[in-house]
This record gives sequence, C-alpha cells and structure tokens, in this order.
Amino acid sequence: MPSLSHAQARQPSDAALSRFDPLPRIICLDDFDRGFCGWTQLVGNYEDSLDAMLPGYAQHSSPMLSTLSHWDIGSHGGVDGDYALKIATGPRPGAQNVTIKRLTYRRAGPIRLEAYVTFKPEANALKLSETDVRSFGFLFDLQVGDTTPGERVMPHLRFLNASSGEHVQKWQFKRQSVPIVPIGTENKTISHYHLSPDGWEDLPGGAQRLCYNEIPTKVNWHYICFDFDLSSMQCTGFRCNDRVFDMSGFDSLRLPAMKNLWCMLNLAFFAETDSGKRAFVYIDSVCLSGDF
Amino acid sequence: MRMSNSAVVTRNITWSGLAHSEPYEAGWAGEAVIFVRALKPGIGGAGIAHVEMSADGMNWAREGTSFPLPTSENEVTFGRVSHFGNWLRIAAEFPEGASLTVLVTLHFKS
Repeated sequence: MPSLSHAQARQPSDAALSRFDPLPRIICLDDFDRGFCGWTQLVGNYEDSLDAMLPGYAQHSSPMLSTLSHWDIGSHGGVDGDYALKIATGPRPGAQNVTIKRLTYRRAGPIRLEAYVTFKPEANALKLSETDVRSFGFLFDLQVGDTTPGERVMPHLRFLNASSGEHVQKWQFKRQSVPIVPIGTENKTISHYHLSPDGWEDLPGGAQRLCYNEIPTKVNWHYICFDFDLSSMQCTGFRCNDRVFDMSGFDSLRLPAMKNLWCMLNLAFFAETDSGKRAFVYIDSVCLSGDF
Repeated sequence: MRMSNSAVVTRNITWSGLAHSEPYEAGWAGEAVIFVRALKPGIGGAGIAHVEMSADGMNWAREGTSFPLPTSENEVTFGRVSHFGNWLRIAAEFPEGASLTVLVTLHFKS
C-alpha cells in the first residue's frame, strides 16, 4: 500500500519532477507548456443523434491552453512556464465542464495522481468574487481487467468552494450511484452523469481554506496528491497543500463492470460555477505515477 | 513539428437572432480555421458569422473576417484568421425567424 509518507517516493533530480513526489514509475508527466499532453473534452455518449446526449455532457467544450491572461495584469502564467490547461464553464449557475485523459493500466497496483491546479471566476466584475466558483475537482474512471472479477470504480473528490453564495470551502466525495440511462436502440451504450449536483458527501475533516488572494485576477497554485490502489480499488491517501486528510471514510462510485472498459484508467478534472459567471479551472501540470 | 489542435466549442446548439460561440484562448497559435457545420437543416434565411477577437475574453471586437453560415444539413462553411492575439469567437447573426443547429470547431496551428 502506498502511504502519504513521501519518504518512499523517488527523489528526482530534474526540475520538472522535483515538485512532485511520484511513485517509482512515471506513467505520465504532463506539463502544459508542451501542449495538451492528451487531455481532451469529456464528451457524452450518443447513438444515431447527438440529441441522445445527456444535458450534463452536452454543455462540455474543449479545454484550452491559457496564459491566465487578465484584463488588468496581462498574462499570469503557470508555475514555471507560460501555459496551463484551462477548462471554462458556461455563464450559467451550475454549469460544468470536464477535461479527461484516457489510458489503460499495465498492473493493478498503487497509483498516485499529483497536480498543481487553481480556480477563478471570470473577472468581469470589480469584486472579490470568491464565491462565484462552486467547485473544482478530479476523478478517476477505472475498471478491472477482463479476467478479474470486479467493478467499474469512479473515485470523485471535489472542493466545494461555494454554494448559493455561501463560501463553504470543504472537500467532498461521491459514492452514490446515479441513474444509468440507455442510449440509442442497439443496447450497446449507456450514459450516467456522475457529476450531477446530487449525492456529494462531506469528507470527514475535509474543511480547508485555500489561498484565493485579494482580487479575482491574482492567482495562486495549489498542490494535490491522491493515492489509489487498483488492486483493492480503494483510496489510500489524499493531501492538498499542507493538509493530509483521513480517507478512511472515503468511498467511490461503483458500477457493474462494463463490456468495453477493461483496464480503463481515465483521469479527469472538472469545474462548476455557482453564479452567472464562467468558472475557470487551470491545471499547470499533472504527474501520474505507479508502483510497478 | 508545428503544434496543432482542434477544439469543439459549440455542439448541437440551435442559434437564432444574435449568438456567439464560447470564448477560446489560443495565444500559442499563429493561425486558425473556424468551421461551422449545420447538424440539421436550417430554418428560415441564411445567417452570417463574424470572427471576433478580444484582449480579455470579455470585451470583443470584429476581426474583419465574415462568412456565410450553412443552410442545409451537413453543409460546412469556414473562415480563416491569423494574427488574432489570444481570444477568439464567432458572432452569428440570423434574419428574423431563422435558426440553425450548429457544430462550431476551431482548428489551430502554431
């Protein structure tokens, strides 16, 4: 089992890795100064017609490479370069957007997701606007191999920044399944909008006040590290900046294994707005590593 | 090798009156082609698209490129732009009573 003691992690000498604490095998190190690095839009499932796509997915659009350009200061830039991956919601309360990277895994063992991320609302008002972004978060979409009894497992974590204008600031997880909707007529495709506002539960001890800064165009980056064991399909750790959280109360959304998703290893980040402003989530870099 | 990327910014949305694609940042790119495909037959008269650019993604100016929007199902029209700075979108104008269900995609090269 991996632990959040980073003493076992590789101590890399090069600058690109030195701000991460990866497990021994780097599966991917995505610095968005190099481009999109395989991160794309999460599109909803459909058959015959795009009208079959669930509304939650229909609102998604492509991620972009941003210099965090603002009207009052110009480009903010990333942690160590010019560009970050950006997802933007529409300007409607509750609007969401998701970016995803799709892999499969070689060995069902420990994996670690690390990233430097931040969030801000569209700076279209001369206000602090700290309660305009509802949440940002990340998830894995995983399934056992085709010879292994098991499930499709989707660990979700989000930072609920605000709700109906209240500055909430706490981590939440989701284990409650959402309705599965058949798509089309050939019995080959289903859909389920697992990022719906329902079913989020507070992570015990998960309140955290993140640095937001003093106007909407001043941006600070946050470090997240999420550990998961693909053999037990259990979360084994989570930290954000200086806080290490007790994940004993965490569980994942679980579904029956699906016939086309064996060894799936998808990872995604999402944004949600609480106001009529676009919410922006920026990802400077992502490191996915494994113990194999 | 030059960097290239395709972005889907508006998908299966029915436009009428004055409509806009969502703002998109591509300061890394030197050129862009903006395709609009009609996903369903258009209703009423043909619309027109104007490429717009912005310093901040909130305040927009016409870039000068305009192109007719498609009218029949799966018809594609496009505009080409370069030297656009960072933010891009299109503004679509339709005659009264006209509407179109669109797929708007942006295609960039560094």
